[in-house]
Amino acid sequence: MHISDGIIDTGLSAAAFAASVGLVYASGRKVPQDEIPKMGITGAALFVLSLIHVPFAGTSIHPGLYGMAGILLGKRSFPVIFTVLLFQAMILQHGGLLSVGINSLNLGAGAFCAWLIWRQRGLPEYFRAALAGFIGIVIPVLLMALAFHLSGYGRGILYLFSVYIFAALAEGVITLFVVKFFRKTKSDILA
Amino acid sequence: MKHHYIDRYSDLDSPLHRLDPRVKILLAFFGILIMVSEPPGRLPPFAFYGGMLLVLLVASRLPPVFLLKRFLILSPFILMASVFYPVSLYLTKETQAIAFQREALEVALSIFLKAALSLLLLIWMISVERFHVLLMGLRKLKMPKLVGTISILMYSYLFVFWDEALKTTRARESRTPGKLTRAKLKTYSNQMAMILLHSWERSKTLHHAMLARGFHGEFYSLQKQGLKKRDVVFLVVFLLIFLNVRLFSGSLLNVAISLYHFTISLFTITIPQFDLTTPLLTL
Repeated sequence: MHISDGIIDTGLSAAAFAASVGLVYASGRKVPQDEIPKMGITGAALFVLSLIHVPFAGTSIHPGLYGMAGILLGKRSFPVIFTVLLFQAMILQHGGLLSVGINSLNLGAGAFCAWLIWRQRGLPEYFRAALAGFIGIVIPVLLMALAFHLSGYGRGILYLFSVYIFAALAEGVITLFVVKFFRKTKSDILA
Repeated sequence: MKHHYIDRYSDLDSPLHRLDPRVKILLAFFGILIMVSEPPGRLPPFAFYGGMLLVLLVASRLPPVFLLKRFLILSPFILMASVFYPVSLYLTKETQAIAFQREALEVALSIFLKAALSLLLLIWMISVERFHVLLMGLRKLKMPKLVGTISILMYSYLFVFWDEALKTTRARESRTPGKLTRAKLKTYSNQMAMILLHSWERSKTLHHAMLARGFHGEFYSLQKQGLKKRDVVFLVVFLLIFLNVRLFSGSLLNVAISLYHFTISLFTITIPQFDLTTPLLTL
């Protein structure tokens, strides 16, 4: 899910970096002071959770929880995702310094769509949760495939990325269970 | 907890360790930008970039085994991404002619070299400076204030949650000895939910503590950062050499001049009294 530096077209990468910095500035305006610790600490938790290996379908996956970030932080999730990706690039070298932009736009779009789904109060809650988790992976994968395609990788990249559908399904189930756990223990988080 | 992979060698002493953190960040960022902007399939300049990076890594006194291990752990991912290029074209029958197949392989190799050298530059940056000092450097480079604040909070609580993840993993394993056969995803999800829940509750306490100490959205550091002349000279010379290779690669004279400039800049940061202006003006 993380594009490293040098993998996609430089112009696209640089433009995405500029756009993501602009988005961080825009989404960071008028953030209430009491939201900031929540954003920082949730970011730390998301970083750590992405390091847990979950056995799935004979292999193991790293949950991204981008859908969950959308549910918990809503439209404020973008600066948190940007910072988590910056940390992942610097500490673990997952992704790259220049490609923090394209990665945060992809994953931020996933979190944003997950938030939009979560807000559809007419749908059953657990369905919304599972769909938000699923979409939180599917949207970034589609955008990532688009970025690769625009960089000259050809249409075949879509076939290669279709394996992510299993990760998206697992993420949907994980998000559903996490929401279920919150509903049982501390439902005000899901307000 | 063990977190030896973060700034493990930042306390070593080398001229490059003593550079201002902003110089290290800018050098890595623009160095990567210049390298990845090479046209697809152009391979010769990477020999020079690789050589420059090798000098940088050796001058930083970073243990080769550490660099090799870190690189080998991450190289399969970039190798896979580079292999995607010819494979994706082949899947949709976009590579028919032999000449085009050869070109596709050259492009794949250039993608691998770009990603590999960018990775090495990133490893260098994180290894020659303490992580929190790099964060302060980013803030001084006008990183958005919100991201700066989130970063400091994240860094402070990363280890707390990592400990919590280890603790809950141990608890889960002790309650379910052997391999989990049922409800795997549910068990793991509950563990994650618990960590998220703890983080949420902790954020409220933290906010109250921050307000009590007069927090108004900005963190301060006691460590003074000041750009010195030699820091700026090193950065400018390094990037000029990279730009020179990017724009005029192929000329032996240019490469020789670049190497000369690089040697002079290394002298400048090693020996503070070294006068840079005279040798540079001769070329």
